[in-house]
Amino acid sequence: MYQSFIGLEIHIQLLTQSKVFCSCPVRFGDEPNTNVCPICMGYPGVLPSLNREAVKYGYVVARALNCQLSPVTVFERKNYFYPDMPKNYQISQYTQPIGRNGYMDIEFRKKKKRVRIHEVHLEEDAGKSIHAGDLSLLDYNRAGTPLLEIVTEPDLEIGEEAEVLLQNFRRMVRYLGVCDGNMEEGSLRCDANVSVNLRGQGLGKKVEIKNLNSSRFVRLALNYEIARQEEILSRGGTILQETRLWNENRDITEGMRTKESAHDYRYFPEPDLPPFKADHAFLEEVEACLVELPDQRKNRFLTQYNLSETLAEFLTAEKSTADFFERAVELGADPVGAATWLSSDVQKLLNRQGLTLLESPLNPERFAELMVLLQEGKIHGKLGKQVLELVFQEGKSPKEILKDRNWEQITDPSVIGPIVEKILTKNPHVVETIRRGDLKPWGFLVGLIMKETSGRADPRVVHEILKERLQVSFIYLLTFGGAISGRRDPDGMVVPGGSAAIRKILEQNPSWKDVVRVEELPGEDILSEEITPADWATLILRTATLLQEGNAKGIVITHGTDTLSYTASLFYWLFGNAEIPIVFTAASLPPEEGSEAAQNILQALQQSEKGEKGVSVVFGGETYKPVNLRFLSLDPMRFYNWNAERIRNESPSPFPLFGGGLGVETLRERIEGIVRKIFIVKVFPGLQGDQLICLINAGVRFFILELFDTGTANLRESPFSLKKAFEIGKTQGVRFFCTSQQEGVVDFSGYVTAHALWKEGAIPMGALATESVYTKLIAAFLYAESEEEILQWMEENGASIG
Amino acid sequence: MSSFTRWIGLLTDPKTFDSYMRYVEQVEPRIGAFIQFDPHLGLRGSSPEGLLRGVPFAVKDILAVKGFRLTCGSRILEGFVSPYTATVVEKLQRAGAVVVGKTNMDEFGMGSSTDTSFYKQTCNPWDPERVAGGSSGGSAAAVASGMVPFALGSDTGGSVRQPAAFCGIYGLKPTYGVVSRYGLVAYASSLDVVGVCAASVEMTEEIFALIRGKDERDQTSLEEAGTSGVEGFHEKNSNKIVRKIGFVSGNLGLDSGVERAYQKTQEVLRSLGYEVQPIELSMLEYYAPVYYTIATAEASANLARYTGIRYGYRPEYAENPEELVRKARSEGFGEEVKLRILLGTFVLRSGFQDQYYQRAQRIRTAIRKDFDRVFQEVDVILSPVFPTQAFKHGSEGLDPFQQKVADRFTTAANLAGIPALSFPAGLEDGLPVGFQLMAPVFGEELLFQVARRFAEAVPPLKAPFNTSPWS
Repeated sequence: MYQSFIGLEIHIQLLTQSKVFCSCPVRFGDEPNTNVCPICMGYPGVLPSLNREAVKYGYVVARALNCQLSPVTVFERKNYFYPDMPKNYQISQYTQPIGRNGYMDIEFRKKKKRVRIHEVHLEEDAGKSIHAGDLSLLDYNRAGTPLLEIVTEPDLEIGEEAEVLLQNFRRMVRYLGVCDGNMEEGSLRCDANVSVNLRGQGLGKKVEIKNLNSSRFVRLALNYEIARQEEILSRGGTILQETRLWNENRDITEGMRTKESAHDYRYFPEPDLPPFKADHAFLEEVEACLVELPDQRKNRFLTQYNLSETLAEFLTAEKSTADFFERAVELGADPVGAATWLSSDVQKLLNRQGLTLLESPLNPERFAELMVLLQEGKIHGKLGKQVLELVFQEGKSPKEILKDRNWEQITDPSVIGPIVEKILTKNPHVVETIRRGDLKPWGFLVGLIMKETSGRADPRVVHEILKERLQVSFIYLLTFGGAISGRRDPDGMVVPGGSAAIRKILEQNPSWKDVVRVEELPGEDILSEEITPADWATLILRTATLLQEGNAKGIVITHGTDTLSYTASLFYWLFGNAEIPIVFTAASLPPEEGSEAAQNILQALQQSEKGEKGVSVVFGGETYKPVNLRFLSLDPMRFYNWNAERIRNESPSPFPLFGGGLGVETLRERIEGIVRKIFIVKVFPGLQGDQLICLINAGVRFFILELFDTGTANLRESPFSLKKAFEIGKTQGVRFFCTSQQEGVVDFSGYVTAHALWKEGAIPMGALATESVYTKLIAAFLYAESEEEILQWMEENGASIG
Repeated sequence: MSSFTRWIGLLTDPKTFDSYMRYVEQVEPRIGAFIQFDPHLGLRGSSPEGLLRGVPFAVKDILAVKGFRLTCGSRILEGFVSPYTATVVEKLQRAGAVVVGKTNMDEFGMGSSTDTSFYKQTCNPWDPERVAGGSSGGSAAAVASGMVPFALGSDTGGSVRQPAAFCGIYGLKPTYGVVSRYGLVAYASSLDVVGVCAASVEMTEEIFALIRGKDERDQTSLEEAGTSGVEGFHEKNSNKIVRKIGFVSGNLGLDSGVERAYQKTQEVLRSLGYEVQPIELSMLEYYAPVYYTIATAEASANLARYTGIRYGYRPEYAENPEELVRKARSEGFGEEVKLRILLGTFVLRSGFQDQYYQRAQRIRTAIRKDFDRVFQEVDVILSPVFPTQAFKHGSEGLDPFQQKVADRFTTAANLAGIPALSFPAGLEDGLPVGFQLMAPVFGEELLFQVARRFAEAVPPLKAPFNTSPWS
């Protein structure tokens, strides 16, 4: 088994006003050789004057990286010839850099790590060479730009970790305002050192990789290089100590120069610069520059504003976004609402117009005004979206826009009441029909009222008033097959039975008769095991519609027992944040064969009338969480929640309420498209990597691997190793979500094989059971617009401790 | 009363300007002090008012003066015109002094004869067969031949003091950091100082008071507490009086003429009432090796910028940037410069630094301490400048190795960072001999004090070539 060691050398250009040793402006994109002077051009006789601001930024970064700060920092000359380096030595630091022995904490796939920072030192950047045909052109605008180099210890193991470190670091320096972190333009640059050796044998031969101008390339290049070195070593070869270049067109690293021809930099103290003393006053200035860093801010957002991991992450990715958000909250916006709008509708508009939040016409004041209008119910969501778009188009405040268009919503019941009254009087037959319990013309009435008010009436108020006047509020009982609604045929087999048996139970309990509306879904009789994506699509859309119409005070779904854990968890992900109770129930036998079905249905009805909002499951007098539902026994039939103590009681679904808005066919197609790519594999002794590869070749892109214990599988080189499948999978974009065969949280830190899984990119699913992971993946697909977003959703906690 | 009285207004009055030009036209062809002579150009850069209004001065071609060439005596800077002016020159221009030209020198300051210049030979105004010394030979010769009352030079290991001694004038090497190095082309940054060549102590002192002081463009420059400005300087030093003078004793290997003059000088100082006592500089034998280790190490980096890419000598053709650099440097640098770059590169190699460069730095610290010890006992030190008087050009003179060994008396002040003044002490065999006085850091005034009194007893003499009506 091999061990890999990765260290990074990160360079950042500091956003100082002027260059590090002269007063030329630091500015990019200007005419070549216009931001130059005798000093940065290395003319004879000039001397460097140290820019105090650059030193300060250096100390700020070193401090943020928890380094020991040098009380006196010294500059050295690093000697080597390069045409774009004016003096042919670089003023850098060697013996007493600004900071040493720091660290940065990162987390990848639930594995936390402290990466040690070897040192932070300040130096000057070189110019740029441009090769055009026979000519070599030189632009010295960049020469003398302050450059801060951060060197980590080789504490990273895989490309993904390096990518995470780099992204966190980038966010940090942007927060500190010392660098814009633009890797494409080179204001943040990264070289990586990799060495691979047999586990336990320490560092191997060091290979340096250059030309990594995005964090993605850092990940790809490192993983490529680790695989390359492992392959050489496994063939009995030796690694050449060298510098390699990442070729982004071919996705490989290529040899550049070997260590034999490496430079002897002949460092010696820079005689033109006295040592810099970081005195008390200076260090106080440094402290004053430190701001709340991204991780701290994210954690604060999680607790202070009760935001989900995804939203907190989104808001704190850029300091400007987090500042915008907090300002809007100060001005009265509800934190969760504001965060959701910023991450969805606002972000979409920004993407469409190619703007950043700071550049857009939306400011915290306008945004907060919109949020408050929504919160106070003065406008509804749909209008809110229109107003937001107009803010972007017209650069006016939401109130001005509403006033301009006479769009102010009517929310006052005393204004809407008489209008409703008028409509009801004009339509006595419709009123009669509804009072009889047939709700079909409900929408017709709402339509008339909206027409009467030119669409300005708040639909929620309209529904409320209608409900009050017509006295309707029902529990909807949706039958969805299974033994609970089945019967036994003459051969003694349980067969599907529509809703007849259930209606019969209700007839026997007349107190429920008037409040419960029974609907038979999906339209044809099914047993639990026969559920298809089409059935799910029907059930999901009906539920979404009921939630939107607002006439339901509760929803009960009768379901078969076999697949209950799937549908219940799927509903938890989609409707966990519903404002009314959604209660699943089931029975082991048809109603005619005992009291269980009736008892369960009655329990479900009770729960749906006064129970907690959100999704739950009732059975045999017990209430269960909708996730991690499993059979405890079949005779008598009992359920339990797997990993029960690890499922958070209070945690809402990480997904927003599913709004539907699609046709049944579309939703069916989407679900079918998803499930076709998913495969659940329980690992077992003798499972071969090749078998998974066959599945990959057949189009599977998402494996749910149920691992031994809480996170092990065979990865030792042999036909029974899954390693090959992971490697092939990587090239095909396959993801492996891992659950465990035993209760407990999936943990990759215990065994060497578990660690290998982590290295290979397996994604631990915390305390979630396999069935719940499967449905979470379906939900993630329905919400996400990219694969990256799917992964984000999947790693979002929700219901389980990560 | 300024010591420059007879020179003031010389170049700002058209009539005297012409007579000045005629004098230089007559003398310069036989001396060869200037690489570039252009008082018209110089006038454009000077203030029409000031203490030194219209006073001509020469600038060693290692200091930047905007619009003038800046060659450092090297082919590699052929044709290079400076886009900026050194701080020291600016200060003098603001006082009204006029740069008349750039003086010849050993290439990049590396030499003791001015004969390593790529451009021309400079002759000693006392005997054109002989060298004017170096590396600031052009500046010393220009002063000694009466073409200017003073000139700026640079002193890394004796380059102002030695030519001053050869030419019978004064040569000041100030405390390291007291005069800004901004605009002084670096040879060895931790040793380089801008120095003054002048015809009298008073002039030397006056110029020094004008050019000293902290400069923001040189972060190694210093200001002694409470001495800013010309007045502050005089005030601070007026109450210190030199009593004890220690002369460097032992077997110093001096030529007989220099040895005789050394004895006489000690006698004169005694007769002036000073306590003159022998002292031993225990580290004398280390000076030259330590100096050449540190100076060449720094030079190897300082001279790396000359590549023919951005300025200076450029070979006609090269295949690629690397070849361009290689050709420019092999064709542009002279042998002595190449030798020193190689030596410097050698002593800085990784794995060998401790043996050479760092060891030299440790010895340098010990040398400083040795001077601290000596200055506990005496106020100033008297020492030879050079073991010989001005030697002849070419193979009849000293070879490069002998010249380096002979630098041991002057390099001490650079290594220790202390001020030193070379002063004329009469003639031997028809040629001037000069000695130097050294003082603790910031002790320039002590040097002037003794030199002034010595001049009263032994006045400086004019060189035969100096027929200038103004000096």
